[in-house]
Amino acid sequence: MSRFLLHSCASALCVLFASLPLSQALAHCFVGARFFPATLVTDDPCVADEMSLPTVSWSKSGDVPPATEWDIEGEISKRITEDFGIAIGEGWSQIRQPGAPTLAGFADLETTFQYQLLKDPSHETAMLLGLIVDWGNTGATNAGIGTPYSVLTPTYYFGQGFGPLPDELSWARPFAVTGQVGYQIPTDSYDVAQGFYIPQVVVYGASLQYSMPYLKSEVKDLQLADFINHLIFITEAQLSTPVANNFGNSYETTGTINPGAIWVGSYFQVGLEAMIPVNRASGTGVGFVAQLHLYLDDMFPNTFGQPLIGGSPSKAPL
Amino acid sequence: MQARIIVLSLLLAAAGTSAARAHAFLDHASPLVGSTVATAPHEVALTFTQSLEAAFSSVQVTDAKGARVDLGKAQISGNTMRVGIKAAGPGRYQVHWHALSVDTHKTEGNFSFTVGGQ
Repeated sequence: MSRFLLHSCASALCVLFASLPLSQALAHCFVGARFFPATLVTDDPCVADEMSLPTVSWSKSGDVPPATEWDIEGEISKRITEDFGIAIGEGWSQIRQPGAPTLAGFADLETTFQYQLLKDPSHETAMLLGLIVDWGNTGATNAGIGTPYSVLTPTYYFGQGFGPLPDELSWARPFAVTGQVGYQIPTDSYDVAQGFYIPQVVVYGASLQYSMPYLKSEVKDLQLADFINHLIFITEAQLSTPVANNFGNSYETTGTINPGAIWVGSYFQVGLEAMIPVNRASGTGVGFVAQLHLYLDDMFPNTFGQPLIGGSPSKAPL
Repeated sequence: MQARIIVLSLLLAAAGTSAARAHAFLDHASPLVGSTVATAPHEVALTFTQSLEAAFSSVQVTDAKGARVDLGKAQISGNTMRVGIKAAGPGRYQVHWHALSVDTHKTEGNFSFTVGGQ
């Protein structure tokens, strides 16, 4: 996509935001009694009106000696209809390699188109289909942070709460899992400037969550401190494995395991996770990722917090 | 860069256009969620984190056999919802609630309490 077309699309979205009548306000990722928080390195299984700004991470690469990398990212998600949404994300990175010039610049602009396949409140199940597009030539290509080619990643997302478990296992009902699996398809197969094949990669991840808000409101109110009652303990994993067009390179899986916690408020959440590389190729030592995430549907229920088009009447008798 | 500026401008523009409200979470209940009480309560009271739309919020209380033991329509005032309970014997009771906050966000939940130490 040319820069002109990219800017035209952004301008068109601007006009849509400003001019279309807004119909109703519904939830971010509520599925029955279950609330799936926005996860930090994977995605939750719902279309929503929300914004992550910023997501900050620090890590060391697996090189010898290792390079130190800072990433600062932002993403805004907007429902177009009740079940279809678009997210726009951007990131800035700085990479310091001992004995080499520091590299810095914007990553490629990322857009995600998402369709809500299923929300089953009684079973606390959610499913989502998405297409992630990293637009080539929109980032710092010369610094190696952006790429001269685009990457398409069709992705499936799911979320499952453990709320339907029987009473004998009530202690486990605050648990939930989410996950996603996608297939990265570059628009070029060979990078002429760098002289290497551009692999197709399976990218996948999951989270295991234990929700203290769910414990308090659905299972047992232990009358813990208010701060603790707003925490969701979480461990995320993000992994990627080259599977095709990777001639002469390693097919080794790389990624991180991220234990941490998310504090959930009425209008925003704050998350902090350690990033533990799964192997040497994934990094050196323990990094971290932190995120401030805003619930736009709660902050702006009459504007951003509503789908742009359609939606069912929200004030149905209960 | 222009696209980045447009997105940030939209967010800043929206920030001044609307009062902030949110989903109504269950803050606490009486009897306490998951608790065991010695004697049957006369009512179940739910307190939420946001004010409720009375016409579109409700609560039901059922016994272990699924029969309703609440006295019908809940009384809703601000962020509190109350419903009376018929004379209830020992046993496990289930509370099912739906809430619509004043800015039309829906939430729902279920919890149980036990009367008489069963």
